Amino acid sequence: MTTSPTSAPARGLRAYLTAENPASRRQAQLGQFYRQWRALRANPLALIGLVIVVALLAVAALAPWIAPHDPLAQNLGQRLLPPSAAHWMGTDALGRDIFSRILHGTRITLAIVLLVVISVGPIGLLIGTLSGYFGGVVDTVLMRLTDIFLAFPRLVLALAFVAVLGPGIENAVIAIACTAWPPYARVARAETMVIRNADYIAAVRLQGASHLRVVLRHVVPMCVPSVIVRTTLDMAGIILTAAGLGFLGLGAQPPSPEWGAMIASGREYIFDQWWVATFPGLAICLVALGFNLLGDGLRDVLDAR
Amino acid sequence: MLRTGSEKAAMPDNGPAPMIGVEGLNVRFGSAHVLKDVSFRVAAGESYGLVGESGSGKSTVLRVLSGLNPSWSGRVGIAGAALRHRPPKSFFRQVQMVFQDPFGSLHPRMTIDAILAEPLAIHGIGDADRRIERALADVGLDGGFRFRYPHQLSGGQRQRVAIARALILEPSVLLLDEPTSALDVSIQAEVLNLLQDLKSRRDLTMLLVSHNLAVVGHMCGRVGVMNRGVIVEEADIAELRETGGRNPYTRELVAASRRVSLGAGAA
Amino acid sequence: MPPETTPLIEIANLRVRFHTPTRIVEAVRGLSFTLGREKLAIVGESGSGKSMTGRAILDLVPWPGEVLADRLAFRGEDLATMDRARRRALRGRRISMVLQDPKFSLNPVMSVGRQIAEAYRTHHRAGAAEARERALAMLEAVQIREPGRVYDLYPHEVSGGMGQRVMIAMMLIGEPDVLIADEPTSALDVTVQAQILDILDRLVTERGMGLIFISHDLPLVSAFCDRVIVMYAGRVMETLDARSLHQGRHPYTRGLLGCLPDLDLPKPRLATLTRDPAWTEA
Repeated sequence: MTTSPTSAPARGLRAYLTAENPASRRQAQLGQFYRQWRALRANPLALIGLVIVVALLAVAALAPWIAPHDPLAQNLGQRLLPPSAAHWMGTDALGRDIFSRILHGTRITLAIVLLVVISVGPIGLLIGTLSGYFGGVVDTVLMRLTDIFLAFPRLVLALAFVAVLGPGIENAVIAIACTAWPPYARVARAETMVIRNADYIAAVRLQGASHLRVVLRHVVPMCVPSVIVRTTLDMAGIILTAAGLGFLGLGAQPPSPEWGAMIASGREYIFDQWWVATFPGLAICLVALGFNLLGDGLRDVLDAR
Repeated sequence: MLRTGSEKAAMPDNGPAPMIGVEGLNVRFGSAHVLKDVSFRVAAGESYGLVGESGSGKSTVLRVLSGLNPSWSGRVGIAGAALRHRPPKSFFRQVQMVFQDPFGSLHPRMTIDAILAEPLAIHGIGDADRRIERALADVGLDGGFRFRYPHQLSGGQRQRVAIARALILEPSVLLLDEPTSALDVSIQAEVLNLLQDLKSRRDLTMLLVSHNLAVVGHMCGRVGVMNRGVIVEEADIAELRETGGRNPYTRELVAASRRVSLGAGAA
Repeated sequence: MPPETTPLIEIANLRVRFHTPTRIVEAVRGLSFTLGREKLAIVGESGSGKSMTGRAILDLVPWPGEVLADRLAFRGEDLATMDRARRRALRGRRISMVLQDPKFSLNPVMSVGRQIAEAYRTHHRAGAAEARERALAMLEAVQIREPGRVYDLYPHEVSGGMGQRVMIAMMLIGEPDVLIADEPTSALDVTVQAQILDILDRLVTERGMGLIFISHDLPLVSAFCDRVIVMYAGRVMETLDARSLHQGRHPYTRGLLGCLPDLDLPKPRLATLTRDPAWTEA
């Protein structure tokens, strides 16, 4: 969709995308995407974010082929080696190549992020829009529920969940999802309260649309952009929570190369063998930054109208 | 065109039953008494105007008649049936409304095509493609507008889309809430002409709410003057033109309207 | 009409341009006029450049707009070459502006009376008590019945008409020589509109102020102003004596007049305006 618009046939594509009078639903939609893409492209920081996120996706997809070593292969003879040509980021206490482990770790990070997003976005959106649209008792009940979840610090609540469900990556995801949705519901509710009084909502109701139809087809699309933006900005937090759980030994279990767990295992050597904890830390930092920059850029693009 | 034999039979045959009959309509918002015993009748095919200033309750009347405001008391009949507090889906095929602000009444993330397809989908009406094309043609927009987004249209074009949306269900009553007050005067003229054409072509009953007496006078035969939730006077436009109104408030409105009119000079 | 020889405002060949990535949009294209102690109307439809003209005088054209003029002067002083600080001092003190919707122009967390008093103190060295006195007097001057009570109200507690009066009071407390009013009454009911216009009229006659009245409403400006400039697509179509506006010659003026409904002149169909592309040329 967003292939480079500089090559010769792209001129035709560009005309197609920027047509004043699109001839089909599809063209109108693609044209809208194209305008947003151009707006995003004009923002260098957002582009850096996008590059980082795309790189993360690529590394996750290609990890087994680009990693120089087996991330799980232990070699006690080569433990705690400093960064060198053979081991770009050194080795850990069990002699595993840290670079390879970080590359493989992207898969775990990405899996956590995706699972959380898939579950949190729709839940928050639905609860928020229903609460904001109907108001009254529905609003009170749903918002008090939200308040209860919001009252606990996220990591503490996640810890409690994991403590009940048992450690492991799936349970970490569930725990994070359970703690992450309230802010989304809040955002969606606030927007819905404004949207529900708009004339265009009154107009659909006047066409005889049911409340459910109004919420799902007319209110939700207006809230989606801010939820997407909020999600991208939240990614950093989700990654850090996952890493936090890993660090505390409640997330991904050894020997899987989860970044948080890797930092935890490196903390004993932090003064003498700095690389063991530093490189996974940098990876977390970089990815969190990437999502944050992208989210900031998306906010400008999607909120434009 | 739309009304089938059975629907026609549903309306009482004795005497000219009004298309809109409002009797003793009261609306309260909390302690505020917004409409006080409002009564008026609009015959089928008639254009009736409600004029008044902001806060006079004229828009509240429209919201009640359109089914958007469920808290009211009194007797209201519209399109041959008593108005219910929660109108059934079929009601909306009979009564439609055009809003004041053409920038706020179209969903900003939907194409014109999707906006017009929505009422058809809600009522399970097929043949959407042809109907949408015809609806656009009827309001004088060419097919090139069909897949644009509202923000790519001017105010007048948006208001035409809003009218097309209201008429795509082929209603018999069209409620107009200040349909041109957000538009430039040259665009206002085009939209008013369009509404008149559509009315005569489709045999519509129109209820026009406006603060602008000149617009109401141009569009309607009869007018109700509202002030603080009460219809203070009902008159034929011709009569109003001649006498300037009986009620002091009406006289004030007429005088204000004349003060800012160019009078005979423009002829 | 002006008692002095120097006009309050002189504008020659004013241009306002906006640079967008793809093209240059010209909002005002070669506008010239002088303003004396009179009520001058600039009328036109949306996009005619009438509001941009008002903003250009006050140096309030939003980014990425660019203002060019052969001459842009206030009482013979060139505004274009004036240093920023001095121009800012002129704004509010000598030249003020009233906008259409007072709701967007008033600070929601400060009582309206205090806002007027603050406006006074930004331009005059005065104590709080004196500023309050001045503000109360000003509220009275714009026909607010209980100035003492209204002084302590917050913007959300006043009606549209009263809000607009408060705005006018705030803009006039610095006793400006020129007031630019951009659609000051279009959001108001006709009866309130008449009161606001009376206030403006009195201020012009009593204080010898110059008024630039920006509006889309031809009948209104014809009844209220002294001279009328009719603008279309950033250009002046014609300048007329307000009383003879209905005798305007230009096809655009005629077209605008023709498409107005009139209570006393019923017509079966309203005339519509055919826009001649030549109007946008020289």
